[in-house]
Parts: sequence; structure tokens; C-alpha cells
Amino acid sequence: MPVVDRRRFLALSAAASFAPAALLADPKAREQYMLQMNGYAVNAETPLELLTDYITPVGLFFVRSHWNPRTPDPKQWRLTVDGDVEESLNLSLDDLRKMRVTEVTCVLQCAGNGRALYTPSVPGVQWSYGAVGNAQWKGVAVRDLLERAKVKSTAQHLHTFGSDDPPGNVPPFHRSIEMEKVMSDAILAYEMNGKPLAAMHGAPLRLVVPGWCGDHWMKWLVRLSAQPQPQKGFYMDTGYRYPLKPGEPGVTFKPEEMKPVTELAVKSNITTAPKHAKAGAASTISGFAFSGSPDIAKVEISDDDGATWRSADLDARHSPWAWRRWSHRWTPRSAGKARLFVRATDDRGQTQPRESVWNQSGYLYNGWHSVDVEVRA
Amino acid sequence: MKLAILLAAALPLIGTKFGTLPEGKGKSAVESRCYACHSADLLLQQRLTQKQWTATVEKMMRWGAGVTEDEKPVIIDYLAKHFGVDNRSFKPRHTLPIAPVRQRP
Repeated sequence: MPVVDRRRFLALSAAASFAPAALLADPKAREQYMLQMNGYAVNAETPLELLTDYITPVGLFFVRSHWNPRTPDPKQWRLTVDGDVEESLNLSLDDLRKMRVTEVTCVLQCAGNGRALYTPSVPGVQWSYGAVGNAQWKGVAVRDLLERAKVKSTAQHLHTFGSDDPPGNVPPFHRSIEMEKVMSDAILAYEMNGKPLAAMHGAPLRLVVPGWCGDHWMKWLVRLSAQPQPQKGFYMDTGYRYPLKPGEPGVTFKPEEMKPVTELAVKSNITTAPKHAKAGAASTISGFAFSGSPDIAKVEISDDDGATWRSADLDARHSPWAWRRWSHRWTPRSAGKARLFVRATDDRGQTQPRESVWNQSGYLYNGWHSVDVEVRA
Repeated sequence: MKLAILLAAALPLIGTKFGTLPEGKGKSAVESRCYACHSADLLLQQRLTQKQWTATVEKMMRWGAGVTEDEKPVIIDYLAKHFGVDNRSFKPRHTLPIAPVRQRP
């Protein structure tokens, strides 16, 4: 965890206000430059132009919090596993570290990333592009833990409980997730990018659900309960729901006309592009692409408003549900203003749409991303 | 006092500065009722209709925001006036995402 004194932070803040390019050139500063969306509970997104790594540095990784966390003493902390199991568990962090290790590299994206891009606008944190990152997660497979507890066949949903603490009558952020998904893909992570999980990312233990939106990735875990039915409460029955059928922009649905938001939508973004280019001369543009499907099949670029597309090169580095870095050598044909669009297609054949489907909570934004370039003769 | 306790317990961002609300009728009521759970930043970035603000304030009242019936229309009018659909004034602050979080007593 970087240690920065107040004077250095203020200097960085001032520098960031006037000279982002200087920050980009300073590797230390680069990890410390985030966009605060809410002071408390903490919500901060990454500037899109800094999401240029295959593995997003921890210090640059977006933070999403519903409430202020009670950060437990790791020595006192315990994870309880109960419900439809033959043997309830009460485990310390050391107990978990002694279990078989499972590692995954995958994308974490807030369900509401891109909410600010929807019209009409909807309430909530107005994320633009940077509530997303790709990280290495290390911990214990949920399957291993539940098999140790001898989970019963009656258990169809895993209820998840964190230690964050809402004030007043505010409903707690309690959730559940289908047993089939957690048993096949999910892990309980105690490390992120090779280091103990940071407090803001859910220390000492968080759920990692590859391919699914961040609302399932419960932070500050203290209890897992195997149950026959889904969790009840605001964040299951009203929040984090997506229309069963797409509606017109501005048309809202009742909770029963929606379903829980689960898989990520196929999506790509441009992270690096020149502001100026020369007609006939190649420039490199690059970015990332990911999906709720395990891999990306292709990424394409258009400079004629989507009439024609050219394939970008996909980086070889990949794991299921990790993002794919991509790059493309683009040669503008003539001088003037150019608009470059990017779209991705995943390995299920789902292609990113030009316009994202509007929904009343602003989830799963995945419309084509574009950048403007001034082309000189 | 409640705000001070929350901040002492939860300030995770070194050098964090919170946004401030524009002057106007209803500002003090918004500050006293909304700051217990979130900073002004969350309000400053919204672009909502009067109807959306009404629904949001009513949800917060159900969640214990402590808004009185007298305050309710004043707060809604303030929010709709300053953070309506044409609001484009919000610029996120540059900040640090990760720093120690103190344990609550």
C-alpha cells in the first residue's frame, strides 16, 4: 500500500488538476490518481486513459462501497459457514490459507459502470468508464469450502454477508447467488495482485465471481449461508434488477418485471488514442474488451460511423473472464475530424450494440465507445 | 456530531476534500439530513427530474433520513433546482483510492 504524506498528496492533486500528462509519466503518481465519486462511503473510479495494463494495479483499481466498513482485526476475524450443511464452519484466515489455493485472473466491473452515459439520466453514482479493472485473485474455491462443510443438495443459493454497516433503517447489503455459479467459478479471495487484500477491496476476504457484475462480489465477508431460497431484502427484491424485456428509454418496470443483474455484457473501450493524426500515416490505438462469456472473439474498429469495420489485434494474455487487451494500427484516409468506434464480439457470438439498452437503474452500459481525432493533411 | 463520528471512523482517503453545495433555500436542510450517509459529491453529480428527486427523497425518508414533512418539499425543490436534468457542473476530484481504514470502536 503506497504511503503518501499529505503534502505530497496535495502536490499530486494540484498537478493532476493542471497536468495529467505529468502524472502519467510518474509511475508512483500514476497509482494514486483516481476520481472521487463519493467521499463516504468511498466510491472512486479510474480515469479510462490509465486503464492500460493487463493487470490493473491495486492503487488504480476502482472502489465501490455501499456503506462504511467495519474493518476487522484479521486475528479476531472469523468466517462462519452455516445453513443447509452437515458441518457448520467457523474459520480463521489461517484456516483458509491452509486450504487448497485457487487463483483466477478476471474482470471486476460495477453493474452501474457507464450509468452517467444513459439518457434519460438515472439516480445513483454517475460512473463513466472507470468502474472496472482486471486483477489476479487468490484464495479458496467456494466449492472446496462448501464440500468441506458437506453442503446438502437442498441448498440452491449461497447467502452472503459482509461486515459493512448501514446507518439507521437503511437496509443492509445482503445478497445471494445461485449455488450452480458459485460452485463452478467463484473463489473467496484473500489476495489481490499478489498482496493481501486491501481494506477498500474487502479485506480480509471477499467473494470473486468471474463473469458476473460486482454486486455479487461481496466484500468484508463474515458469513456464508447455504439456503434453499434466494436472500430477501431491498438489494435482492428491488435493487440490482434488470428488465426481463427491454423497454423504451424512460420506461420503468416493477421489480417483478425484472430479474437480478448477473452476467457482464460484452463491452470494449479505447484507452489510448492520439488526439491528432496525419492523413496517410498510421497511429496506434488500444484498449480492452471483456464479456460475461469467458473470452472475446474479436474487437473491431470503424472510422466511418459503423459502415465498415477492421479487426484489431488481440493480446495473447488471457484467462477466462479476464479482459483482452487489443491494439490497432489505424491509418486515416483524409484530413478532417475523425471519430473512431470500437465494438467487441465474445466467444458466444454476442456483439456489442451501438446503443446500450436503457434501464431505470443504469446497469450494464455497453454501447459503442468512441474517440475523436483531428486528422491533418 | 454524528457526521464527525462517521468521518473519524471511515475516512479512508488521504487528503479527501468533500464537495460543497450551492447556496439556496433548503441547503442547510439538505446538509443536515443527507450528510450523515454520504458526502455532497453524490448529490452534485445527479441529473434528475422533480419526480425522480421526489422518489429519491421518499426512499431516503423510509430509510431513516429524518426529513420532516415540512422539510420534504423544501429539500426536493432545492435538489431539483440545482441538480436537475441539465446539471453538468460535477467534476470528480482527483484523489487516492486506498489508505488505511480505522477500526470502529
